[in-house]
Amino acid sequence: MPTIAIVILILFSAVLAGVIVLRPAITASSAGKILAFGVLFFLPVFSLVAGMENEMRRSESTAFCLSCHIMEPYGKSLHIDDPSYLAGAHYQNHRVPADEACYTCHTDYAMFGTFKAKLGGLRHLYIYYLGTPPLAQDIKLYKPFNNRECLHCHLGARSFEQGATHNADPATLPAMKANTLSCISSGCHDVVHNVGRWGGKVKFWDGGS
Amino acid sequence: MRPGDSMARRLRISGILVILGLLVEALCLVWSRPIAFVVLVCIGGALIGLGVLVFLYSLVSSAPHTAHSSAAIHEKK
Repeated sequence: MPTIAIVILILFSAVLAGVIVLRPAITASSAGKILAFGVLFFLPVFSLVAGMENEMRRSESTAFCLSCHIMEPYGKSLHIDDPSYLAGAHYQNHRVPADEACYTCHTDYAMFGTFKAKLGGLRHLYIYYLGTPPLAQDIKLYKPFNNRECLHCHLGARSFEQGATHNADPATLPAMKANTLSCISSGCHDVVHNVGRWGGKVKFWDGGS
Repeated sequence: MRPGDSMARRLRISGILVILGLLVEALCLVWSRPIAFVVLVCIGGALIGLGVLVFLYSLVSSAPHTAHSSAAIHEKK
């Protein structure tokens, strides 16, 4: 449900609730009782659920993640004009949805992945507003990046399964699939965001959304 | 205080709580900051939840039919 529709529904519900507040006597009739039930029970609960669902969806957007200024360098890294930068190459070539770039790679593709990501987000909020947020370049993953998140898309893809480097050693592909050889820390795709290590050398692509 | 007055008072309180909760929710939806979700759930959700509970309480606590009024209903039939 679009945000504007929910806001209109909320304002409409608030106006109707205002009628009950100003004229509670109208609930004496059967129609008034039905109105009161709709306005003081059904509509508020529906609006709340719709609003929460909308916020949950918004929390998956790239713009949402980058709205904390501490994440700005990570947003900039998506525009680095160098294909060796993994995050930028994925974002610019739409290998991940551009409007959900952060969430696509940094959610856990296991059963409770989305739930864990939301809990992690609450922890980030706590640190951001009530704790001492680290410098952007000091931000670390809670645990090593799991290949499962890469293989969610790449598994079975020709470029992955038949890539020359991946097949140079017959042990490489099975090790990657078993997550014993990391995609991003093995010296293969280890340039991801590299925030704080750009120097003055990187150029930025000015396209994209 | 008559039962009707108490019911009206509870409906007013419920309505005011629901209106405040809805306004908080509307503000959170147009306020694109990460904290908006927490405000929506903790403040908006609490106000709406409380308003709904007061409304439900006003329903169950309204004056029940007495034996006399039930008899009167049967007599009418």
